[in-house]
Amino acid sequence: MWGCSQQSPVKNASEAHTADLFAMDTYMTLKAYGDNAEKALTSATNRITELEGMLDVTSPSSDVYKLDNANGNALTVSPDTASIIAAGIEYGRLTDGDLDISIYPVLKEWGFTTGEYKVPDKQTIDSLLADVDYSRITVNGDSVTVPEDMQIDLGSLAKGYTSDAVMEIFREEGVKSAIVSLGGNVQAIGKKPDGSDWSVAVVNPFAPDTDMCIVEIDEKAVITSGNYERYFTDDEGNNYWHIIDPKDGCPADNGLVSVTIIGDRGIMCDALSTALFAAGTEKAVSYWQNDKGFDMILVTDEGQIMYTPELSGHFRNASNMPAEVISVA
Amino acid sequence: MPKGVKIVLVITVILFAAAVVAMFVFNRQADRKIVEIVQNGEVIYTLDLTSEKDRSFNIDSPDGGYNTVTISDGTICISDADCPDHTCIKTGVLRSETIPVVCLPHRLVIRFAEEDSQ
Repeated sequence: MWGCSQQSPVKNASEAHTADLFAMDTYMTLKAYGDNAEKALTSATNRITELEGMLDVTSPSSDVYKLDNANGNALTVSPDTASIIAAGIEYGRLTDGDLDISIYPVLKEWGFTTGEYKVPDKQTIDSLLADVDYSRITVNGDSVTVPEDMQIDLGSLAKGYTSDAVMEIFREEGVKSAIVSLGGNVQAIGKKPDGSDWSVAVVNPFAPDTDMCIVEIDEKAVITSGNYERYFTDDEGNNYWHIIDPKDGCPADNGLVSVTIIGDRGIMCDALSTALFAAGTEKAVSYWQNDKGFDMILVTDEGQIMYTPELSGHFRNASNMPAEVISVA
Repeated sequence: MPKGVKIVLVITVILFAAAVVAMFVFNRQADRKIVEIVQNGEVIYTLDLTSEKDRSFNIDSPDGGYNTVTISDGTICISDADCPDHTCIKTGVLRSETIPVVCLPHRLVIRFAEEDSQ
């Protein structure tokens, strides 16, 4: 899984230092500025590898694999794994089950974990859904119990948690300016060294080879879930994408094709981008209206962009789609 | 023409010429598009898209398989590949630092190079 990392030579404090690696089934790039950037990047890549080792559902030595094969017994896992699972349960509760870390067996049945795609019959989906229920998982300190008939995967939270962990290392090392992209999940510390905001492009879900918009951010994470990221097409031309609605076990089709969450914490942005995609337009808007602890950009299946008011002035539409501001209440 | 006016004229012409040269140099730098093609973490090509000729070439993966890279009008993309998901092709032309063109199965990445390190 984890291939290689590369680091640029040290030159001077205002210069960018970069590292890149393949990890967590994706390609990651890290860029940091300042005196300790190189040291911070080394610690960060080590931390990413460490987290991957705990979270990789396919690796028998990972915490997640062990939990999925523990026959319902409590296991002591790393504090990282325990806190991601606790966060998964919490976001499950907050979104009324629109995020469910126990959806994994259904995702597998559709072939999204292996690339051997198929449309399962309803009976199979229903029997798998009977054992999908995040609320039956218990976390007690570092001790976690996953019920015997259940399997979890932390793919909807892992990259967000990882970028938070990388930011933590950067801050400890005194890095004041940095940006990382973990397979398109972006998170930044501070502003660019020249004092300007970071520009983050978000893909147009209707034309993934073009940009939908550019957002200007500082000290924020920008995480997108889109139906264009991983999908397959059946013989009749129907598309099936990898974000499964835990309510019916099918690709979430509730009016949204892309959800971008912009906020202070990667794990929150990661969890909410998946959950609100599954929730659909109306629920996503009302979730934001009740919370307002983040910003978001929605794209509906009818080609309408909707974004939260705080983004005005930081949002540049790069598509032909109309964009409207979401009302605050 | 009085001498003073001549001097002013000469200075104006020199300043103008200098400004044009400066603008040219500045724009050249701003427009410089250095990209790297990285295979398995190793930079195998460094290209300046502002001066590269339009062309396509294949990059073979050590584990078998290939990606076809196409350079056209100062843009770069993966136009063909035998990977199963074709995500690299669907990404289109390289256009953003945070969205590199990536072929995960072949461990191949096309990305903008760090301006500073050039």
